Amino acid sequence: MSDIARSRLIALGSAAVVAVYAAGYDRTRVAASQFAGDDTHRRAPVQPASPTAVAASVPSAAGAAAPDAPAPLTPAARAQAPVAITTVAAAAHAAPASVEHAPRAIDSAPPSMQPVVVAAKAVDTIAARAAEPAVEPAHAVVAQWKDGSYSGWGTSRHGDIQATVVIADGRIASATIAQCLTRYSCSWISALPPQVVSRQSAEVDYVSGATQSTNAFYTAIVEALSKAK
Amino acid sequence: MSDVYLKSVAVMDTVVTIQVCGRERDCAQRVEAALEWFLRIEACCSRFDEASEVRQLDAHVGDAVRVSDTLFEAVQFALAVAEESGGAFDPTVGRRMELRGFDREHRTGRRTHTRFEESAAVSYRDVSVDPEHRTITLRQPLVLDLGAVAKGLAVDMAARELAPLGDFAVDAGGDLYVAGHNPHGVPWSVGIRHPRLDDRAIETIAVSGAAVCTSGDYARRAPTDGASHHIIDPRTGASTCALASVTVVAPTALVADALATAAFVLGPVHGAALLERHGVDALLLTPALERRIVSGSYHCFQA
Repeated sequence: MSDIARSRLIALGSAAVVAVYAAGYDRTRVAASQFAGDDTHRRAPVQPASPTAVAASVPSAAGAAAPDAPAPLTPAARAQAPVAITTVAAAAHAAPASVEHAPRAIDSAPPSMQPVVVAAKAVDTIAARAAEPAVEPAHAVVAQWKDGSYSGWGTSRHGDIQATVVIADGRIASATIAQCLTRYSCSWISALPPQVVSRQSAEVDYVSGATQSTNAFYTAIVEALSKAK
Repeated sequence: MSDVYLKSVAVMDTVVTIQVCGRERDCAQRVEAALEWFLRIEACCSRFDEASEVRQLDAHVGDAVRVSDTLFEAVQFALAVAEESGGAFDPTVGRRMELRGFDREHRTGRRTHTRFEESAAVSYRDVSVDPEHRTITLRQPLVLDLGAVAKGLAVDMAARELAPLGDFAVDAGGDLYVAGHNPHGVPWSVGIRHPRLDDRAIETIAVSGAAVCTSGDYARRAPTDGASHHIIDPRTGASTCALASVTVVAPTALVADALATAAFVLGPVHGAALLERHGVDALLLTPALERRIVSGSYHCFQA
């Protein structure tokens, strides 16, 4: 510990964390808040998940996804939601861009490769940004997409991923991994976002420095959305 | 084997995943609050977003600008790292990154434009902070790039929010903070990405209560020439090539990320010296995969 204590930088880093945390939410966005009204799509503060929002978002597995669900998924519930990934009603706008995995026992068998449905808001942030013309001022109105199903490809050095986005009522209803042509098993994508980088080692909880794999997914989603304009 | 609560958001040009072990009553709320920090800090510190506070600051040259605590702390810390590393880490590289083709948000392709000619000599010395009045002054037109600092800070804020839950992990695209135990009841095992074989870990460490960040030459290639990567030496403007990756284990992601970036630029000898000076644990890998270990208080790398 003496080494750590000696470093001015480490002390400064810890102090910065304390200072920012103590300052809290309100004072964090002096300038940015001026634009909050224009940018609510991207900047909407994350509301704590309310029970109603959760219930609305996960019709088939609402109980399992509730924050304080009493028990791990039953086998039956697991069958309904194989990877505990939820499809969120597109109207739930205040929620953050997110993929919610219902609480689950870690020892449940890894799901076989199935279409992976990612919560609508998982791509909403991307969607909102992708929809903005490059040099458009910040107050540009976020475009609505045409209803339908659109696919896009993303490429990484691992191989290609095809994503399908479904637009309903001008909003993203779901995003799915349609095809996964990577060098190795795609089973890890079923846990997208990749909390366990099983492609590297099943023994490893996380991998420091591994950013590559998610990018193909994003590229695919962005391409799919560009077709929906 | 404990239950796991898992949630991810797409933010800061990456995917952020939070995993909590156990079933605390306020788990979901704390995870929401933790993820909220990423959105908040991105809104403050992103150079790709014209509406961000840092871009507003960029537009005020010569004035002492009162800024938010987040921006102040981020810039103050970045300047301290710049000083400690002799400019190998420099938050004023933003404009040069743009000119080298790093002018798009990676995820969306959304392009940023700044409309001025930056003088060639811009450096971190052209930025000053006033801790008493919480103001920042830019003495030259420049573009602040707080990328590494902002992501680290957000990871740390999330970790602070989650601290009462005991066992958790925050993964921001390979920048990690792990605390307590994993669902198997043992310290988290963290792989260090192999810099040349992207589906392999070159090393695995067991660690808790620490941030683990890696800077590598493999992450993002410049659109302009395809060969150079996303970390440039602020002193020369070129990509550096003496190291393939640097992984740092430190008490905060703020420190780990910034020092990994600085050491990556400094190369194996000076980089290792910087890391030793600050008492962090680190693994430096050369392009030939020669290892250099820096042993700090976590003792996570074995020679």
